[in-house]
Amino acid sequence: MDLNPPPEENYANPRTCLFHVLFKAASLAFYILSALFINNFVIIFVVTVLLAALDFWVVKNVSGRILVGLRWWNEINDLGESVWRYESLDQESLARMNKKDAWLFWWTLYLTAVLWVFLGIFSLIRFQADYCLIVGVCLTLSVANIIGFTKCRKDAKKQLQQFASQAIASRVSSTLQSAFTVV
Amino acid sequence: MSHSDTIPLHSSSQSDIDEIENLINASVQSGPATVQPARPPSPPRIPVSSSPFLQSNLPPPTTAAAKLPPLPSSSAPPSVLPATVPGPAPPPANSAGSNNFAASGFGPAPNTLTEPVWDTVKRDLSRIVSNLKLVVFPNPFREDPGKALRDWDLWGPFFFIVFLGLVLSWSASVKKSEVFAVAFALLAAGAVILTLNVLLLGGHIIFFQSLSLLGYCLFPLDVGALICMLQDNVILKIVVVCVTLAWSSWAAYPFMSSAVNPRRKALALYPVFLMYVSVGFLIIAID
Repeated sequence: MDLNPPPEENYANPRTCLFHVLFKAASLAFYILSALFINNFVIIFVVTVLLAALDFWVVKNVSGRILVGLRWWNEINDLGESVWRYESLDQESLARMNKKDAWLFWWTLYLTAVLWVFLGIFSLIRFQADYCLIVGVCLTLSVANIIGFTKCRKDAKKQLQQFASQAIASRVSSTLQSAFTVV
Repeated sequence: MSHSDTIPLHSSSQSDIDEIENLINASVQSGPATVQPARPPSPPRIPVSSSPFLQSNLPPPTTAAAKLPPLPSSSAPPSVLPATVPGPAPPPANSAGSNNFAASGFGPAPNTLTEPVWDTVKRDLSRIVSNLKLVVFPNPFREDPGKALRDWDLWGPFFFIVFLGLVLSWSASVKKSEVFAVAFALLAAGAVILTLNVLLLGGHIIFFQSLSLLGYCLFPLDVGALICMLQDNVILKIVVVCVTLAWSSWAAYPFMSSAVNPRRKALALYPVFLMYVSVGFLIIAID
């Protein structure tokens, strides 16, 4: 993953990118600024965690689909076992995805988690257990999304390789078949 | 074999899925050489990497892709912001969109990658409501209580826990923020520990399903706490809390008991009851 955004193209889905970043930034900003202005822990907690939960939902259901074409969820099958499902667009659509969108998606995902870790360290240093609670919840949500999408991307690559090798194998066999029928 | 065999689908989505399957079968039979790569420019195809009914090694069923509605992502992303009650942001309704959803799991049907956002929101909201009705309200048609909350979600529990914390905090005259933090931490940690308890007793439950259930079973206590906040009579509070406590425990009982060995039922149920009793005490004792 490179450090600079790909320069040529513009964002293909600017509104989705905006929402992707909006809730993350709002939750972080509210948490940081509220310590200066608002004295009421309950309000800080509820608003921050609500914004973080909304961000989790938006990333998982909307921007993941639209910006990088990935989706993950958990199902419980009939045997009562829990199954993690990963879904991705096919290869050509994935290749057509805007690089800038994808860059923004992944970088903001990692960046928010890192920022929450820093904020957590600050509140630990100050021995504020209740603020650690807020940070803990928000961090859990961020990390869950990171893990889910990373696994989904790996699964997509694996499926791609399988598909490619199967396609090659089937082409080879059909070529051989047609060669033999001609002969 | 396929999702559609075991999960009851919405009737229009079942017919859509049938149509797609027919098209795929038709294109497979006609052989790879005859499939034209003439695809509509914008919509990505649907086939899913882990779906049972659209195999990933099929040649691109372009006729199927042409029949599916155009990708809404060019016009879709939400332009209205969230805010009201049950969490997910309600963006403006997008008319173009296949309405396929299977009522399973977090369980979208395979082609939800391109569904409009409004569909996702509606699906999640309806899941919350149906989970609530299934778990908490007396339901004579409930076949197997152990299967309750097959499609678990954590939005309901989140809102119930936060609501309970808020009500307790409002009722408290001093130390409001500590009350809220304690209530939230107690309930969240309690749910996790209760789940671990069942797992350690050798029971068979899914972690998130159990968290979800214990969260939904807080709904009666939420109602009780709200009533207690509005009324100051101690006797009334005790009565209300006892009733809602019994209701919560009754709601949690079938699921928990079916998850463990019958000889260990009490060991699994007692901590649940204890947790709800402690929440009840919190409600009564706050003034």
